[in-house]
Amino acid sequence: MADVDTPESASAEDGTARQFSDSAPGAVNGPAVARTPAAGVSWPLWAWRQLTTMRTALVLLFLLALASVPGSLFPQEGPDPAEVQQYFTSHPALAPWLNRLGLFNVFAAPWFAAIYILLFASLIGCVVPRTFRLAGSTRTPPPRAPRFLKRLPLSVSYSSPLPPGEAVSVAASVLGGHRFRLRRSTDSSAWLSAEKGYLREAGNLLFHLALLGILVSIAIGGIFGYKVDKLLVEGQSFTDTPSALDEQNYGRLANGSDLAPFSITLNRFSASYITTGDSLGQPEAFHAYLSYTSSPGAAPRSYDLQVNHPLSVDSAKVYLIGHGYAPVFKVTNAKGQVVYDQATPFIPASTSTFLSDGVVKAPGASPSQLGFMGVFVPTAVSVNGSLESSFPAADNPVVSLIGYSGNLGMNSGPPQSVYQLDTTGMTKLPGSPHVMFPGQTWKLPDGEGSITYTGTQQWVSLSITYDPGQVSALVFGMLALGGLLLSFLVRRRRMFVRAVPSESGSLVTVGGLTRTDASGGFEDEFASLSVELAEAHQRDPATSAEPEPKNHPETGA
Amino acid sequence: MSKGKRRAVVSVTAVAVALLAVGLILGFTGGSGQASDITYLDGSTSAWMYKTGHRPLVPDFTGRTLTGASLRLASYRGKVVVLNFWGSWCVPCRSEAPTLAVLSEQYRSRGVSFIGDDVGDTPASALSFTREMGITYPSVNDPGYQIAQELGKVVLVNDTPTTLVIDRTGRLAGVIYGSTTYSVLNTMLQDVAVS
Repeated sequence: MADVDTPESASAEDGTARQFSDSAPGAVNGPAVARTPAAGVSWPLWAWRQLTTMRTALVLLFLLALASVPGSLFPQEGPDPAEVQQYFTSHPALAPWLNRLGLFNVFAAPWFAAIYILLFASLIGCVVPRTFRLAGSTRTPPPRAPRFLKRLPLSVSYSSPLPPGEAVSVAASVLGGHRFRLRRSTDSSAWLSAEKGYLREAGNLLFHLALLGILVSIAIGGIFGYKVDKLLVEGQSFTDTPSALDEQNYGRLANGSDLAPFSITLNRFSASYITTGDSLGQPEAFHAYLSYTSSPGAAPRSYDLQVNHPLSVDSAKVYLIGHGYAPVFKVTNAKGQVVYDQATPFIPASTSTFLSDGVVKAPGASPSQLGFMGVFVPTAVSVNGSLESSFPAADNPVVSLIGYSGNLGMNSGPPQSVYQLDTTGMTKLPGSPHVMFPGQTWKLPDGEGSITYTGTQQWVSLSITYDPGQVSALVFGMLALGGLLLSFLVRRRRMFVRAVPSESGSLVTVGGLTRTDASGGFEDEFASLSVELAEAHQRDPATSAEPEPKNHPETGA
Repeated sequence: MSKGKRRAVVSVTAVAVALLAVGLILGFTGGSGQASDITYLDGSTSAWMYKTGHRPLVPDFTGRTLTGASLRLASYRGKVVVLNFWGSWCVPCRSEAPTLAVLSEQYRSRGVSFIGDDVGDTPASALSFTREMGITYPSVNDPGYQIAQELGKVVLVNDTPTTLVIDRTGRLAGVIYGSTTYSVLNTMLQDVAVS
């Protein structure tokens, strides 16, 4: 193998110095990409090219992430209208401005929509031309072999007993066996171009199409899906119908009539907590024992609902998202008539001790209405004379009530939260706060009646979701990952062979070219391919004239 | 350049079509498509009447009243029925209750029966409510909202309170979302009970 390395003049022919065109999406229309509009290029076209560059898409993606941050910083109209009201009262100067900016309803705000519509447009504008380009590149043959292969990053020369034309044929069968796409000289010179690694672009394209698919899936979920919440006390049941639900969020084209017609009864809820060590009081397991019917009249079935173990019913999923205590109170009025008797959900103020707050309203009490603000203490201990909870389980439950009598403000006016007591028209009862153990009764002063703490039940908070885009989002997510892997692992690479006549046959030069930014490994492939080529080229002319062998000799250094 | 331009045009068209599709989907949000079959009352969309011939048949239901008696909707056939979904916990229910009490007395002699459907409630709290408001008509004990869902086949019981007026043939004649006012329910009953 003679190493012929003759420096040639700098006039490189067509493909020599040409690198693989980068996959910048804007590059479809030639190199004049993200410049200011040159002569002859209209502003709209320039703007369109700017929009569809990868950089813009990435910036928009980042903006989208950034724009959803206020959604978790400020209370949102959809899931938490009461919190928004509260924010308005506590920040009277700031809240109207935030409202004007749409920060209380971020995901419906025009500027949020602008970002994702632009992102969508950018992605489509990026992917569509690429599809054309890929389709084009699968049809176009590799470029002509450069004249001076020695200038390529990788090259090797050797002499072969074969005449040039035959040497190129042998090279074609070797490289074709490695599934290179081939292009041979049509003129008198003997050369061969071979290209491989189209899967890279295909993977890249798959990634972008899958990204679009994910967006579409999310949009489908947002348009046709819904998410509703329900607080359910032990022993109670509810039907999945709008008026029964506490919070409702529907997609654009979904409404209450799309709810799956199931009903659920909470038979029992159990929570277990760690009782020793450093993580004392940390939750161990939650079980909500449900019975449910998938539609009216269907046979009831039972289910042990746990966190991250949702119940699938009628294509909807029911998740366990919270729990708490619901002390049962019985209120009688001055005449001894029962005016209130029910389990009253209290909202935990602390998840480590489950000290909870709640309100009892007895508008039917006479002569004046009664209201109570209560604190529920699951495991009561006395700390310097004040009640504290030492453990989240209801081991020593106690309620402390502040009683009010007067006007609850329920006979007119806007809807009230069942967790809040408006005491503006009420006076505090003497003897408040009153601490009660289960079974105890507080005889209210001035013969206003009584309140009995009969016992304690638990409640669970259920989230019912329907997301028709969930499965396709997962599939597209996996496809996107697959495409990304392909585009990382596969490289476009080209092999060139030129043969010129010499006394002993021909002088063969092999050159290799790959993307410079791709991960390494082409050097090894080039080395083994050129060894294989050299070996094939050393064979007797008679042997190599035979039909192509089906099994190619394995590369061996 | 011309090829590049053509591609750009194709891309722009593709995006435009996609955005148009999304826009159309978002634009046509619902619209029950029955606007010609109903008449809105009180200048809002929260109370309406179905025109005769367009009234959907209300599915029958049975239940237990707060006092334990059994109640069946079909046994009211031949009478006009006002079905009111309520709960003692619900503030607008408290404000509409006196109106319902008055109208139920006023139309009793004209073959109009009132039925309550007490949702998300306990009998003790609910009976305290009816006693306080002077409501004498029966209410079904429906803590799990089952009847609300049953009737959802013909009209969505969207929130509490919701009031339905059912004509003598068991068909839905009027719907009131939210707190009932005397004038709206009176108009409906004039129409259904007198005709």
